[in-house]
Amino acid sequence: MAKSANQNQEPIGKLSTIVVDTYRWMVLARTFEDRISNIYRAGKIVGGVYVGKGQEAFSASLASQLVKGQDIYSPLIRDMAGRAAFGEPLIDAARTYLGSAQGPTIGRDGNVHRGNSQEGMPTMISHLGAMISVVNGMLFARRLRKKLNTAVGAACIGDGATSTGAFHEALNMAAVEKLPLIISIANNQFAYSTPTDKQFACNELVDRAAGYGVNGININGTDLIECIEGFEKAISLARAGKGPQIVVGNLLRLSGHGEHDDSPYVSDELRSSDLGQDCLLKAKDRIIEESWCTEKECNDIQEQATIEVNTAIAQAESEKGPNPYSHDWNAYSSPSFRK
Amino acid sequence: MSISYLEAIREAQSLALENDKNVFIYGQDVGAFGGAFKATKDLFQKHPDRVIDSPISEDAMVGLAVGAAIEGMRPIIEMQFADFSSVGFNQIVNQAATLYWRTAVSCPITIRLPSGGTPGSGPFHSQCMETIYAHYPGTIVMTPATVEDAYSMLLEAIAIDDPVIFCEHKYLYYHLKSDSLPKQTLPAKSARIVRSGRHATVVTYSAMLHEALRAADNMKTDGYEIEVVDLRCIKPIDMGTVLGSIARTGRVLAIGEAFPWGGVTSEIISRVSSEGFNLLDAPPARLNSIDTPIPYHPDLWRYHRPTASSVEEELRKLIRE
Amino acid sequence: MRIPILMPQLGASIAEATIKEIKIEVGQTVKTDEGVLEVETEKAMMEVTTPCPGKVVEVLAEIDVSYPVGSTLGYLEVDDSIAEKINIDPSEVQNPEPDKVSSNIKTEDDSASDSGALQTTSEDPNNPEVTPTIRGLPVPARASGATYISPRLRARMQELGLNAADLAGIAGTGAGGRVTVEDFESFMFDLETKKTSAASSMRIAVADSMRRSWTRPLATVGSPVCLENLLSHRKESSPKPGPTLYAIRALAIALSERTATAGRLVGNQIIHPSSIDIGFAVEVDDGVLVPVIRNVDQIPLKDLVEQYSALVESAKKRRLPKEASTPPGIATVTNFGSFGIVWATPIPLPEQNLVLGLGRGQQKPHWDAETSSWKPAIEAELTLSFDHRILDGGGAGRLLTRIAELLQRPSDL
Repeated sequence: MAKSANQNQEPIGKLSTIVVDTYRWMVLARTFEDRISNIYRAGKIVGGVYVGKGQEAFSASLASQLVKGQDIYSPLIRDMAGRAAFGEPLIDAARTYLGSAQGPTIGRDGNVHRGNSQEGMPTMISHLGAMISVVNGMLFARRLRKKLNTAVGAACIGDGATSTGAFHEALNMAAVEKLPLIISIANNQFAYSTPTDKQFACNELVDRAAGYGVNGININGTDLIECIEGFEKAISLARAGKGPQIVVGNLLRLSGHGEHDDSPYVSDELRSSDLGQDCLLKAKDRIIEESWCTEKECNDIQEQATIEVNTAIAQAESEKGPNPYSHDWNAYSSPSFRK
Repeated sequence: MSISYLEAIREAQSLALENDKNVFIYGQDVGAFGGAFKATKDLFQKHPDRVIDSPISEDAMVGLAVGAAIEGMRPIIEMQFADFSSVGFNQIVNQAATLYWRTAVSCPITIRLPSGGTPGSGPFHSQCMETIYAHYPGTIVMTPATVEDAYSMLLEAIAIDDPVIFCEHKYLYYHLKSDSLPKQTLPAKSARIVRSGRHATVVTYSAMLHEALRAADNMKTDGYEIEVVDLRCIKPIDMGTVLGSIARTGRVLAIGEAFPWGGVTSEIISRVSSEGFNLLDAPPARLNSIDTPIPYHPDLWRYHRPTASSVEEELRKLIRE
Repeated sequence: MRIPILMPQLGASIAEATIKEIKIEVGQTVKTDEGVLEVETEKAMMEVTTPCPGKVVEVLAEIDVSYPVGSTLGYLEVDDSIAEKINIDPSEVQNPEPDKVSSNIKTEDDSASDSGALQTTSEDPNNPEVTPTIRGLPVPARASGATYISPRLRARMQELGLNAADLAGIAGTGAGGRVTVEDFESFMFDLETKKTSAASSMRIAVADSMRRSWTRPLATVGSPVCLENLLSHRKESSPKPGPTLYAIRALAIALSERTATAGRLVGNQIIHPSSIDIGFAVEVDDGVLVPVIRNVDQIPLKDLVEQYSALVESAKKRRLPKEASTPPGIATVTNFGSFGIVWATPIPLPEQNLVLGLGRGQQKPHWDAETSSWKPAIEAELTLSFDHRILDGGGAGRLLTRIAELLQRPSDL
């Protein structure tokens, strides 16, 4: 962990620690996904690659404030930063993209469909909104067993997923049951090519919260500090038993929908607006400005990330994929039903 | 003492709640009200924290069950009618049924579907959904036809570590009664030969078992002995028992109340044709409902589904071949 | 108004009926339910009656002609009010031509067949495509009928090494007279009460071979042949060729002059033999072996003697060299005369369509025109059994005559 080069000032407060830690995860995520995109363009990844460029601050600042082993975190597609912050080993990500038989899903599912539910990070399915009710269930079960305590469960989605029935049913159910659920909505302005004015009619996406009888927090998703503070508030309210919290982060998707898409539908105007700022650059500038890290320390963070990413990917690349002939083609866990 | 099919289901749930603190029941109106069919009557009073009313959200209900299963619980989801489970279809087939295969974490949930037609219930309160769920890998689908099986198979369903779709037949709820609950039981995945015979084998499940038995009784007067096999569990199918029966009789009629395209009867015919071709004296036959949505008017409804007399007609054709 | 007299549905599975008697003529007045035609179905004689009173204005039916159910057999002129009451729409009536079997298999998705996408008939008569009809085939194609053997019965038979010929003697009690598994089992049960002995594998091989051969229409022609020239030639030869060898050589030459007669019929093609290989029957323990000599048409008689004798010896020891049995020959000679038989109708091997039989030599009186007297001469009967699909009596006869001719000049063989 980097120590500040700022020796003349007060000991670094809690915020700066969280900021720098979170920044580290953001850099790791960006470095990893840039590398994966390159590998994809070289034709070495089968299937889709979807990255969270521009959303790292919003994603990581939720997870870096959750406690693995206590809380539940359900990441979605553009949450590489959040996964890293929550504690997902980078090798899991590398293995899943590269189809290693040693990855968490043994090649049975790929790219972002990975997780570790026994450590509180359930594995997503592709249907948007579907994971929220799973988080509900995990919280519900803990409460039934009187093991919930102050744990919270967070589910991540984007603006598009708020149109699904699954989202509606799950949020409504969580509200009725007053579960400590946090839904983080990365409003990146587009669901593939569909802009938000075709997705919902509310003035602001966060207005939906009122309809469900839950609290809503609207933040600038490009600003790391604002994200950290916003989530801190949501988490503490949830822990305090105030029921579900919706946190909407307003930002811009800085990549295509997938690496196969060059998003021609995003206007230059939008790209050059405030919404289009890169949270990573912004965060670095702020960190240096606040003297929470020096330029060199920031570069070190980048270097460290690069080494970690390269190591993980080299490792995963060297591993074999699953062998269909010796694979366990069995969909049941019950011994009496397994062939 | 007389116990109905519905009461047997209630008894099984009561026992499960009693014996395992991880079991809970979640569904619309299951709590104080005791459920639309009273399948959970008085259970809320005994276990108020574990018999819980849900909003009308079949998708979120099943998702919640999956989340609870991940945490080690054994949820029972009561769908008010099988027909409404289609709203939760995605969570059942894509979340629950794939969980173990994708993540090596078991999904021990039980989804109870009040299925099948009763007079006047119409197209959306009468469906048999076993086919759709059986199609997806990772599910176990049970279709008990007797009071005893409703009891023992539900207990087994709850104990199984994989998602079980438990298709209870609404018509049998109050119409079928037995003297007592079973002490010894057949494992859920075994089929049972309910009636032995020589001239033809009927393979069927759920309420159609009783139509088949009536038809078999009628044909006895003409000297025909019909063997009747109750599949009990339609995924997986106990082909061993089915083929063993056909080895004795040489003729098979598969009967299902479900729609004719695909489904259990098609599965039986195709497996018998490929695995038991040389056992056959006549082409394998099947009987399902008519290929239309289920009608409301009782006269139409009675015509739409297989009955003892349409079963008998098919059997006579089969035997004459 | 004109209304049709229709062929009614005369029974659940009846598709058509034949007119046996026409009881009406044009101009005749008829009442309701009056019998106007007698028809014969597969099952019974039935009567066609009028639906209402009227006058006969046309009779289309003909005696001894078959019409499908629903065909128009004639017309009545009836009062409009009556026609209305019985609800006939004349425009819905089919014409009296027999229903053509449809080659457009109509499925639920009629759009495809309407666009002609499922058209399966070919316009080219020289290259007929198979146009399968699936539905509506009559009873034997489903699961009954005397020749039907169900998969279950077939499996039972295979287990015991039986085939359909073995069951020829069973009368079936199943649908359409088919042999049921129960019939089969009581037949087998019966057999257990009888004395049995094991059939040797040779016996079974011959049985199978003859059964397969018999699936063709076989016929036989015969002709006596004078053996005097052959016998004197034989006396002067060293080594001595057997009479069978003379016949083998004569057959080979005759066939080389007309190879099609030894061809195989497959579908509508005759496959000509590529070399004149002739086999000859040698009796062995409980059966027959048929060694083959290759290219007999190219080898003179004297050069065949040694090979022939060697093959006879090998056959008797049941040790034929591979070249003498594979591939099989194109025709066979059998000398049953050596058992004392005068005349027989041998059965060709299943892969051949000709077998030449040579009977016992006998002293017969021959009319000598020069001396106007009967002179004794040794004569034998030649019989030629053949696959009647490939040869007719004339062709077979000519072949036989040519062989007999060749046998009169043994030195040319």
